[in-house]
Amino acid sequence: MLVLAAGIVAVGAEWVTGNASLIVSAVMLVAVVTIIWTAFVGGLDTRRALAPYGLLKPGILWLSLFFLAPLWSMLQMSLSSKQNRFDFFPSFSWEWGNYTTAFSDYGAQFGRSFLYAAIATLFTLLIGYPLAYVIAFRGGKYKAVLLGLVAVPFFTSYLIRTLAWQNLLADSGPVMSVFNATGFTTVLEALGIITNGQIMNTPASVIGGLTYNFLPFMILPIYVSLEKIDVRLVDAAMDLYSSASAAFRRVVLPLSLPGVFAGSLLVFIPAAGDFVNAQFLGSPNTTMIGNVIQDQFLRQLNFPVASAMSFVLMAIITVSVLIYAKIMGTDDLV
Amino acid sequence: MGTRKKSSIGQGPAFSRREFLVRSGLVGAGALSLPALLAACSSSGSSGTKTLSFDNWPEYIDAETVAAFAAASGINFKYTEGFNDNNEYFSKILPLLSQGKTIEADILAPTFWMAQRMLGLGWLQKLDLAKIPNAANLRSDLKDPAWDKGNQYSLPWQTGVAGLAYNIKATGREITSVEDLFAPEFKGKVGMLTEMRDTLGLVLMGLGKKIDQISTFDDAADGFDKIEKAKNDGQIRAFTGNDYIDDLSLGNFAVCVGWSGDVLQLGKDNPDVRFVIPEEGGTSWYDTMVWIKGSQNGDAVAEWMNYVYDPVNAARITAEVQYMSPVEGVRDELVKLGGDAAELAENPLLFPDDATLARLQSWGSLSEEEEAKFDERFSSITGA
Repeated sequence: MLVLAAGIVAVGAEWVTGNASLIVSAVMLVAVVTIIWTAFVGGLDTRRALAPYGLLKPGILWLSLFFLAPLWSMLQMSLSSKQNRFDFFPSFSWEWGNYTTAFSDYGAQFGRSFLYAAIATLFTLLIGYPLAYVIAFRGGKYKAVLLGLVAVPFFTSYLIRTLAWQNLLADSGPVMSVFNATGFTTVLEALGIITNGQIMNTPASVIGGLTYNFLPFMILPIYVSLEKIDVRLVDAAMDLYSSASAAFRRVVLPLSLPGVFAGSLLVFIPAAGDFVNAQFLGSPNTTMIGNVIQDQFLRQLNFPVASAMSFVLMAIITVSVLIYAKIMGTDDLV
Repeated sequence: MGTRKKSSIGQGPAFSRREFLVRSGLVGAGALSLPALLAACSSSGSSGTKTLSFDNWPEYIDAETVAAFAAASGINFKYTEGFNDNNEYFSKILPLLSQGKTIEADILAPTFWMAQRMLGLGWLQKLDLAKIPNAANLRSDLKDPAWDKGNQYSLPWQTGVAGLAYNIKATGREITSVEDLFAPEFKGKVGMLTEMRDTLGLVLMGLGKKIDQISTFDDAADGFDKIEKAKNDGQIRAFTGNDYIDDLSLGNFAVCVGWSGDVLQLGKDNPDVRFVIPEEGGTSWYDTMVWIKGSQNGDAVAEWMNYVYDPVNAARITAEVQYMSPVEGVRDELVKLGGDAAELAENPLLFPDDATLARLQSWGSLSEEEEAKFDERFSSITGA
């Protein structure tokens, strides 16, 4: 199985090309045949021992081809250097400088991405949890309709919804008009959320956009985990002289943690790499790492640095997710 | 310096087709495979009728000309508006043209500096000027650019000026100077273009520099510093492409760097939006028509260029897009058209007087190496 996976990665990522790739393919074929043959001639025990690997096959093939191979290709690119400015095929040269550039030139954007994504995740949780709770426990016969309403905005394209906010948040748009008329502007200005009488093109509008666009990804998993909870558990807690808030804190909340965990991952990960909200709702001082990667790839044609940044982004996300999982203690729950 | 490890292992051509496909996936399979696919289709098209494809900037022609040309010439003419940004378009065609493959379009409309880059990379074909007699109508000030002597590879499509666009309702006063971009009263309400030469050019003129004399990065460093400081102070709300128009009419931008024709078009519907060539000067630029390497439709290309260099046809385009036409004689034709078009003939932004012309400056050539430094610095300021 390992031979098979390595072979697919090698060929898929162009680690080997030409005749060498034929040889690798042949080796893979031999490996498959050997496994089948061993299983065929071997006894029941051999077959039983090989069974798990057989069952793993689809997953391994899928991952090798569509995850490991591209990943390898990207790793290789991130350590390559360009011969000249318009070199479309940078060559591999252990160019660690790409990673230094990623950090030294764009450290601020990395920081901003994770900060904005974390705040947006928190907001989606604060808005999404009560909403999911109401739908799950108080929705009654309207449950399906309410859930449908959560998903309805998805019928409009992501881009269009974000662009619509440009008009809503414009300096002379409806949101600012209401704020100005009610005097709410002064409050927000004191909090530093509004500057120069504008909410558009500020960190607030970018975080707001992220929160809005990713909210359903928080609501749905939480709803699913709440929906499974037996309401009688809460009754039982009450019977044992628990207050309503203690029942929520000690019964409902822990049981819904897997949903919260899944929801925050579904929001945080794409939000950290998002560039649409920062591009259309932000200013030059609120750019996120996604904007930089996009610019390096498509405008500067700097594939090596862009790959290095993608890699760093991925590494940081992975590490933070692992830490998060540790803190949440959801290993047993998920 | 890197060693080309891969190509030494590979057989035959340095880059196999499969390798190429995998790499292009990095850039965005959609963006690449579509033109490739279309190119494959068009080359196998019927042999009887001539075909022609022109990928131009959006809203850069009137409603009639395309159909009128197709009807008059019998050419199967495909006019598209896919050219949105010089750099982005360049990165889209780079993998194909640098491999010697063809793209669908016969004619593209890169801005002069991009056309120069493409010429340097050997991506352009020499125009058959014998079949374009109307090329003689080219405005004399645009003839023989330093990078393309005798206009052998390029003919201008439209020319214009980058100056200051403003919404009088938001500014509360007329705008006259580049310094207004940095005025504290407009903090957070200033826009600049991602088109580096236009934005930087204006700022440099505000600093009293002559942009046609700038050849090294050091000459322009002050301008970059000034833009960066304004960005860090929150003076600049956004760096935009063509979409500055929306921000301007919504009042998000009080004042921004803009293009003459765009603002004139918008001003038709919204009289609050105005355009001025600041007293320090304006950046003049032109977009070109170039014939792309690998295109087999040279006759049709020449026929089209000849058609739009006829003052009658050029005037019709000018009446709609309101940029400065590169074609001599358009002014008289506009007068003949009467009505709104005749008014344009008197518009100083389309037909500038000598005093205005004296304030316009254009960029000279930058070497590859220097241009790279400019791009990198500008990119680090715009933050993306």
